[in-house]
Amino acid sequence: MIGSFKQIKKDEEDGGGNPYHSTDKTSVLQEARVFNETPVNVKRSTHVLTKILYLLNQGETLATKEATDAFFAMTKLFQSNDLVLRRLVYLGIKELCNIAEDTIIVTSSLTKDMTGREDQYRAPSIRALCRITDASMMQAIDRYMKQAIVDRAPGVSSAALVSCRHILKESPEVVKRWVSEVQEALSSDCVMVQFHALGVLHQLRKSDKLAVTKLVSKLTSSSLRSPYAICLLIRIVARLIEEDEIGYDSRLSDFLESMLRHKAEMVTYEAANAIVTLKRSSARDLPPAISVLQLFLSSPKPTLRFAAVRTLSKVAMTHPNAVTACNLDLENLIQDVNRSIATLAITTLLKTGSEGSVDRLMKSISSFLNDISDEFKIVVVEALRSLALKYPRKQAVLMGQLADMLRSEGGLPYKEAIASTIITIIEDNPEAKEKGLDHLCEFIEDCEHTTLAVRIIHLLGREGPRTRQPSRYIRFVYNRVILENAAVRAAAVSVLAKFGAQCEGLLPNILVLLQRCMMDTEDEVRDRATYYHAILATRDSTLIHRYILNPPQFALPSLERALVQYLQSPAVEPFETRMEERVVPTHEKYAEQLSAIPQFAHLGPLFKSSTPVELTEAETEYMVRCIKHTFQNHIVLQFDCTNTLNDQLLESVSVVVDGEGWVVQTSLPCASLPYSQPGSCYILLPIPEDIMSTTGTLSATLKFTVRDCDPATGEPDTDEGYEDDYTLEDVEITVADHVQRAARSNFAAGWEELGATNELEDTFALSAMSTLEEAVTQITQFLGMHPCDRSDRIPEGKSSHTLYLAGTYRGGHEVLVRAKLALADGVTMQLTVRSDDPEVSEVIASAVG
Amino acid sequence: MGVFDKLVFALGLKKREASVLVIGLDNSGKSTMLNHFKSEDQKSTEIVPTVGFNVEKFKARNVGFTAFDMSGQGRYRSLWEHYYHDCQGVIFVVDSSDKLRLVVAKDELDMFLQHPEIRTRRLPILFFANKMDVREAVSSVKVSAALGLERITNKPWHITASNAITGDGLHEGVEWLTNQIKENLNK
Ligand SMILES: Nc1nc2c(ncn2[C@@H]2O[C@H](COP(=O)(O)OP(=O)(O)OP(=O)(O)O)[C@@H](O)[C@H]2O)c(=O)[nH]1
Ligand SMILES: [Mg+2]
Repeated sequence: MIGSFKQIKKDEEDGGGNPYHSTDKTSVLQEARVFNETPVNVKRSTHVLTKILYLLNQGETLATKEATDAFFAMTKLFQSNDLVLRRLVYLGIKELCNIAEDTIIVTSSLTKDMTGREDQYRAPSIRALCRITDASMMQAIDRYMKQAIVDRAPGVSSAALVSCRHILKESPEVVKRWVSEVQEALSSDCVMVQFHALGVLHQLRKSDKLAVTKLVSKLTSSSLRSPYAICLLIRIVARLIEEDEIGYDSRLSDFLESMLRHKAEMVTYEAANAIVTLKRSSARDLPPAISVLQLFLSSPKPTLRFAAVRTLSKVAMTHPNAVTACNLDLENLIQDVNRSIATLAITTLLKTGSEGSVDRLMKSISSFLNDISDEFKIVVVEALRSLALKYPRKQAVLMGQLADMLRSEGGLPYKEAIASTIITIIEDNPEAKEKGLDHLCEFIEDCEHTTLAVRIIHLLGREGPRTRQPSRYIRFVYNRVILENAAVRAAAVSVLAKFGAQCEGLLPNILVLLQRCMMDTEDEVRDRATYYHAILATRDSTLIHRYILNPPQFALPSLERALVQYLQSPAVEPFETRMEERVVPTHEKYAEQLSAIPQFAHLGPLFKSSTPVELTEAETEYMVRCIKHTFQNHIVLQFDCTNTLNDQLLESVSVVVDGEGWVVQTSLPCASLPYSQPGSCYILLPIPEDIMSTTGTLSATLKFTVRDCDPATGEPDTDEGYEDDYTLEDVEITVADHVQRAARSNFAAGWEELGATNELEDTFALSAMSTLEEAVTQITQFLGMHPCDRSDRIPEGKSSHTLYLAGTYRGGHEVLVRAKLALADGVTMQLTVRSDDPEVSEVIASAVG
Repeated sequence: MGVFDKLVFALGLKKREASVLVIGLDNSGKSTMLNHFKSEDQKSTEIVPTVGFNVEKFKARNVGFTAFDMSGQGRYRSLWEHYYHDCQGVIFVVDSSDKLRLVVAKDELDMFLQHPEIRTRRLPILFFANKMDVREAVSSVKVSAALGLERITNKPWHITASNAITGDGLHEGVEWLTNQIKENLNK
C-alpha cells in the first residue's frame, strides 16, 4: 500500500503521471527501428508510434530525412492487421505527410483499405489518402472517392465528404467532378452526412454568389432532416443577408424567422442568434428571437442557459431595450450554480437595468467575484466600463468597486482591464480624475506586473502635473525608484522629470530626487536621471519643452548619416537636429545611392523621398516611374526606366521636363538602356525662392536614341541610331514633397508650445468625400504628415472627428495641423495650422484650398 | 549447436513466416500473380496498376508469406530499396511478351543486384518469365539470356515460365523459393 502510494507520488514529480513525459526525439527515432522487424512486433510498435505522435503533437519538429526514415519504417506496419496499430499508422501518415518525402508510396495500401471490407479501416484511410494525394494523382483515386461519397456506411461517406473539403483548398476542379455524388449524399438519412455534404456544396460555390443564392433558395424550400445541416444553412443565409447591401430577398429573413419554430433546440438557438447578430436587424425584428432566447433562460440544461445568456449579453450592447423583456429571467439566473451563467446574467442586467438597480447588482457580483475565472471577471469589468459611461453619477460607486477589484487576486489581463477602465473614467470625467489616480497610485504600491506599473506611472506623468495638488503624487512615483525593478525605475525617473518640467514649485525638490537617482545601479536609470537633471537645471523653458515634454523622435540611421555628413562638411553653424526628426527611415537606400553621384554630393542631407509614381501606363513600350527626392534647396527627380522592346537598344536616355518657375540645373542621362534591364536618369531642380511657388506641374518627355537590334542576341544591327521621344504623364510636385512625417508623443503640449502666433484657420467643404475615414486618409496623404494620438482611427458610428497631424517642413520648420471634421452631406473641415514660420503655415493652409 | 541456438531454430521453424519482395517492371503481372495465391474470399476481382506498394499475405506449402508487391512504374522504382533490408526472398517478374523492354528489366535487375543491401547477401531470387500464354512471348531460356542471369553466382536463383492469370508455373516457382528460404533459416 505504502509502496504504491510512493510510486504515484514519484510519477507526479516526474510529470503529472504522464507516461510520455520524458520522451525525447532522438531516442524515439532510434526506437522506431522496431517497425522494421518481421514479423511485426505489434505491442512495441504501437507504443513507439504513439510516442512519435505524442512528440509531434507537442510541437516537436522533424527534419525531412528523419521524417522520411520514420515514414518508410512505418509503412512496413501495413504487414500487421492489428486494428489499433493500423489506425495509428493512418494518424502517423497524416502527421508526417507534410514533412516526409515520397509519401505517395502508401497510395495503393490506402486505396486497398478504403475499398476493403473492414469498416474500421475505410473511413480513416480515406482521410489519410487525401492528405498524401496531390493534384496530379487525384485522377487515380477519382473513382474510389466517388464511391466513398455515396457509401452506405455513414462514417465512410462523412470521411469522404470531409476529405473533399480539404481537397477543395488545393484543387477545387477535382471536387467539381464529384458534385452529383455530393448532391446524392445531401439527401442521406444520416444527419452528419447531410451536414457534411452541405458543407462541401457550399464551399464549392462560395465564390459565386448567384450559385449560393440558388442553393439556398432550393434548400430553404425543401426540408432538410439534419439539424446540423439546418444550422449551417442558417449561417449561410445570415451571411447572404449581411453581404447584400441593396434589396435583399425578404424570403431569407422569413426563413430565419420560421426556423425559430423548429423542433430542434439547436436550430431555434442558431436562428435566434443569427437574427440578433445581423447588423441590419432593427429593434423591430428582434422580439421573436429574444423570446426564444428567453425561453432557454429557464431551461434545465446549463448549456442552453449559457448560450442564451451569452447571446443576450451581446445584444444588450447594441439593443439594451430589446433585452429588458428578459430582466426577470435574468434576475433568477443571478443565483445560478453555474458561475459563468450568473456572471453573464448580471453583466447583462447592468446594461439593461435602471440606474437604481446598479448598487444591488454590484453587491451580488462582489459576493461571488472570487469564485469566477479571470475571463469572466473581465466581462464584469467591461460591463462596469459601459455602465460608468452611461451613468456618470454612479461613477463613485463603480470606482470603489473597481478599486476593490484592483486589490484582489487576478492575472495581468484582468488587472489591465481594470486599470484601463479607471483610465477611461478619468478621461471621461475630470471630476473623477483625482479619485481614480489615487486608486491607481495605491495599486502601483504593490503591483507585480511591470508593464502595467509602467503604464500607470506614465499616466501619472501625463495627468498628475495638471491636477490641483501635483505634489501628492511625487511620493508614489519616487517610491518606485526605491522599490522596483529597473524598467519601472527608469519610467519613474522620466515621470519625475515631467513633474519638474511643469510644476515650478516642485522643481527644486525634483532636482534633488533626480540627483539621488544618478546613483542607481542601472545604466538606463542613471542616464535618464543625468539627462533630465541637466535639462531641468537650465530652467530654460524652450529646452525643457523640446527635450522633456515633446522629445524629438529620431530615425537612428538617418541621424547617424546626418552626423557623419555634418562632420565631413566645413560648416561652422551648430548641428540642426530638427531636420532629422522622422518617423520612418524609408529613404536610407536612396540617400546612399544619391550621395554616390558627384553632381548631387553638395546638396546636403536628403530630406525626403516620395513613393515611386508611374509615368506610363502598364504594359507599354517603355516603363518609367519617378521618385522625387527633396533636399534643403533642391529637388532631384529620379526616373527609373525599363525598355520592354526586345528589338531595341536605347541610348542617351533622358527626361525633359518643363514647368513654370522651374529651371533644370543638371540633367544626367542614362547612357544605355538594353531590353528589360532597368536604368535611371536624373534631373536636378533648384526649388524656387518664393515658398508659394514650390508646388507645381511639370510636363515630361522621354528622349533617347534608338538602335534596332537582334532580339535573340541583343546586339545592335546598325552603328547609326535615330532619335525619338515618348510622352510621359506629368510630374506633380506637391506640398507633401516638402513635408516629412514627424511623431509627437503629446500633441496638445506641442500645440500650446507653438502658440497661435503663426496660426491660420479656414473652413472647407470636401464634397467629394462621403465618409470620415476617407477624409482622414486623404488629408493625411495629401499633407504628407503623421497622425498623432491615434487620431487616424475613428470610433465606429461617429459623425464628427478631430485629426491631429504633425510634420516637419523642409528647412526644419515644425508644422502641426488640427482638422475638425464633421459629416454633413459630404465632409466639412475646419483646418487650423500652426508653425514656427508664418510662410509655412500659409503654404500648408493654402495647399488644401 | 548449443542449446540456445537450438531453441531459436525451433522457434524459427514453428513460425514458418517468410517475407518476400516482389519487383519487376510495371504491367509485368506482379499483382496478378499474388492475387492468384490468395484464398477465394480474399481475391480481388480487378487488378489496377499499383501505386507505391501493397502488402499481401498468402500461404504456400505450409509457409505463411508476407509479400511486398511493389509498383513497377518508373517513378516508383527508386523506392524499392526501402524494403530490401528485411526480405528473405525476392520474386522478380518479367513480361516475356514485352521484348522491347527486356533491356529495361535487365537494367533494373543489375541495379538491384549491385545495391549495397543486396550485393553480399545470399538471397534466393525467383524469376517468373510471365505471360507465357501470349503469342509473342519468348521462352524462359531467352528471358534468362536477355537478363544475363548466368552472371549471378553468389545467390541461388531459378527461372520459370508462368501465366499469372491461370496460375501455370506459379506453384513450381514458389515451391523452389520456399525450399530456399527454409534452407537459409536452418543454417
Ligand atoms: N495474358 C496475360 N496477361 C497477364 C498475365 N499476368 C498479368 N497479366 C495482365 O497484365 C496486366 C498488368 O498486371 P498487373 O498485375 O497489374 O501488373 P503489375 O506488375 O502489378 O503492374 P504494376 O503494379 O504497375 O507494377 C493486367 O491487365 C493483367 O491481367 C499473364 O500471365 N498473361
Ligand atoms: Mg501491381
